Amino acid sequence: MLEIIDLTRSAQYIGAGMAIGFGAIGAAMGEGYAAGMANESLCYRAENSGNVVRNMLVGQAIAESAAIFALIVSLILVFSAPSEQFVLFAWIYISAGLAMGLSAIGSGIGAGLAAGNACQGIVRQPAHSSAIIRTMLIGSALCQDPAIFGMVIAILLLFLDFSTVPLYPGWAAMLGAGLSIGLAAIGPGIGCGLAAREAASGVARNPETNTNTNRMMLVGISIAQSTAIYGFVISLLLLFTGHQENLALTASLGLLGAGLASGFGGIGPGIGEGITAAGALRWIARSSGNTGLLTRSMLVGMAVAESTGIYALIVALLLILVL
Amino acid sequence: MDELTSVPQFTLELFGINLVFNTQTIIMTWIVMAALICFGFLATRKAGLIPNPFQVVAEMFVSIFYGFTRDTLGEDLAKKYSPLICSLFMFLLLCNWLGVIPKLAEPTKDLNTPLGLGILGFIIAHYSGIKVKGFANYIKEYFQPIFFMAPLNIISELAKVVSISFRLYGNIMGGAIIILVVSHLVYGLIVPPFLVIFFGLFVGSIQAFVFTMLTLVYISLQVK
Repeated sequence: MLEIIDLTRSAQYIGAGMAIGFGAIGAAMGEGYAAGMANESLCYRAENSGNVVRNMLVGQAIAESAAIFALIVSLILVFSAPSEQFVLFAWIYISAGLAMGLSAIGSGIGAGLAAGNACQGIVRQPAHSSAIIRTMLIGSALCQDPAIFGMVIAILLLFLDFSTVPLYPGWAAMLGAGLSIGLAAIGPGIGCGLAAREAASGVARNPETNTNTNRMMLVGISIAQSTAIYGFVISLLLLFTGHQENLALTASLGLLGAGLASGFGGIGPGIGEGITAAGALRWIARSSGNTGLLTRSMLVGMAVAESTGIYALIVALLLILVL
Repeated sequence: MDELTSVPQFTLELFGINLVFNTQTIIMTWIVMAALICFGFLATRKAGLIPNPFQVVAEMFVSIFYGFTRDTLGEDLAKKYSPLICSLFMFLLLCNWLGVIPKLAEPTKDLNTPLGLGILGFIIAHYSGIKVKGFANYIKEYFQPIFFMAPLNIISELAKVVSISFRLYGNIMGGAIIILVVSHLVYGLIVPPFLVIFFGLFVGSIQAFVFTMLTLVYISLQVK
């Protein structure tokens, strides 16, 4: 006979493994890209190597922060005392691990992309390296947003008191909350990185337009993140909607379906809008006179690319609130 | 770790309706407002050709945000909207920085503040859209490209309010949670000041700027 504490303890271990296991994927890839670009650009101007290596290390440190959030969540899972009474907490621990681990993938890759192209830009325009580093810092800090949302959900899952929530359909709501933000954060993290990368290159290409480029990058990245925010909203709804006990399987799987809808629905629009923003940012440095036109066409294009994410949001809301 | 979930509330019963106030948020917002009013008073008290330090900062804010508004909305509308955009940024910046001071908390950490400001921006954007384009043209835009897209267009407009306000809330709340959890794990040694600099000052200023710029962009999408 399996005791409840065995069950929750094992769930903590599985959750901790998934949090840092998934969380390590993206940061490592991003850091590798940054290091590769830094090595490549060193050869062009060996005398700037100190500057490039310093920038590479700073960029990698930011890319790693998503993995560090994952490490914190895993450590909390490993060392905190598991619940002895409620089976629901087993699902909560697994879900916290999924929320943190999956959401760290995109942010790590994205921040690494920005750091890599900033290294290349420093070699191209050594005199303007401080402007390039500033763009990279802002861009890669914004790339961390999806991971921060994932961490908020993971910490809320771990520290809020869910002992009054019934096991059915509570388990599905908790698991859905973790999957919703975890999956939805993957795409926007990568998309933000694609945009930030072009912004860093753009500042290097034409440093005089760096105000314009930075402003456009902020707007582009923030809008590319919106599907991660929809995932975050669905997660919060799943956590805080008062669930009545309902033993029917449909009630539980409906909530799980809501989490899956907004989670998977967020991946594509995030990457797609990132590509749109990257396209606009690639050209703003070359033709800064057309800033207004580029901004408007970028926003319209992004709105269309986002519509599929909004369909997913509608289905998720229907599953939670109506059915 | 109890601070994570505690929301100090105060309930007032008035004519049979329960009004709930989040006391901490309201007090912190008042502190921000008082600081901004003091700043405005100090900056304009002895306005002169040789400016005092407050006047320099105030002139910098006004000229930078007037420039942004003019680039986005054009000369005519900029005179009308730049005070809004500038004060929105200053308010949010101070809100996000307030958590750096011990015992004080960011008002933006409470979802009600960003959501209120998001709805404010939404109403202003749509009001100016109706005013500039006329009501018929404003309604016609919802039926683009085909008439049955109207419900989706309306939902995507509403989704903008959700995304703008939850972005600010999630970031500020996330920063506060990270600082709280890490301080708890390392017993407040060495690491937390760096986290406060990164999440409180750096992320706080970026998010204040992002919120302001998106409000401006949403207004410009409506008026053009």
